[in-house]
Amino acid sequence: MNKDLEKLFFNPVRLKIISFLISVQRSNFKNLSEISGATKGNLSIQLKKLSEAGYIKIIKSFEKNYPKTICSITNKGKKSFELFFKVLQSYNK
Amino acid sequence: MESKDQINIINEAINKAKEEDLKPLGFNFVFWGIFIIVMCLVHLFFTDFIQQTKFSAVIFWIVLPLLGMVYTTKYNIKNRIKRGYETHIGRVIKIIWIVFVFSWILVIIPLSIINNQNPVPDIILLLAVTVTTNGLILKSKSVGAGGVILFLVFYSIEFYPLVNILVYSIIAQIFGLLVPGLVLYFSKNE
Repeated sequence: MNKDLEKLFFNPVRLKIISFLISVQRSNFKNLSEISGATKGNLSIQLKKLSEAGYIKIIKSFEKNYPKTICSITNKGKKSFELFFKVLQSYNK
Repeated sequence: MESKDQINIINEAINKAKEEDLKPLGFNFVFWGIFIIVMCLVHLFFTDFIQQTKFSAVIFWIVLPLLGMVYTTKYNIKNRIKRGYETHIGRVIKIIWIVFVFSWILVIIPLSIINNQNPVPDIILLLAVTVTTNGLILKSKSVGAGGVILFLVFYSIEFYPLVNILVYSIIAQIFGLLVPGLVLYFSKNE
């Protein structure tokens, strides 16, 4: 398996985020925080890392003067996750 | 972290998104069922008032549903924000209903405004297709059955137009929207 990929998904917060995003169309920041159990600061860092790797897309906007962050998985993210999952399964066989 | 732990993390995260909350969709079905039934009853009992001019019935049947659409759209957006995420099925259902609204506009304008024709049978057919598709996607027997009943009502109007078309419409709303909506609303998401 690609070492960068392995390194990126080795972090449980990032793994939770990508696993959740692959099963939904999109999710907001608050929900991802609940799913991953990470603090806002930590979540921001992990999202940035996933976004920089091109695995997720982050859309930031304002709603009633409050910042709104929506995340969704990219095609690259889906393919990488599938590859990662296949390798994981092969380890357990 | 071991590979088994990683698989457990993946399973937990996926399971959190697995359930499609059917309550909001159920609410939409119930709302439209009651809304159209009330409109039909008003039209039935105050026919002279509703049909006092050439376009009064058209205005009645366009303006009020549009207000209903504004209300349900706001409700759905609010609900999605509250939930925090949108599922793939949720998005598909949303797109299907958007297509229904555009088709409704495309049917109602040429038929009732330009051609002065009753658009009820065509709208019931459109609704039958939409509700049946919803039932198949959600794998919901009650919604699917509602769609089938709507098809039957459409054929009854076309081939046995014995009763007032508004009565047919009330039957269509009760069995096509209201009952499936109540089932969805009170169903447990397993």
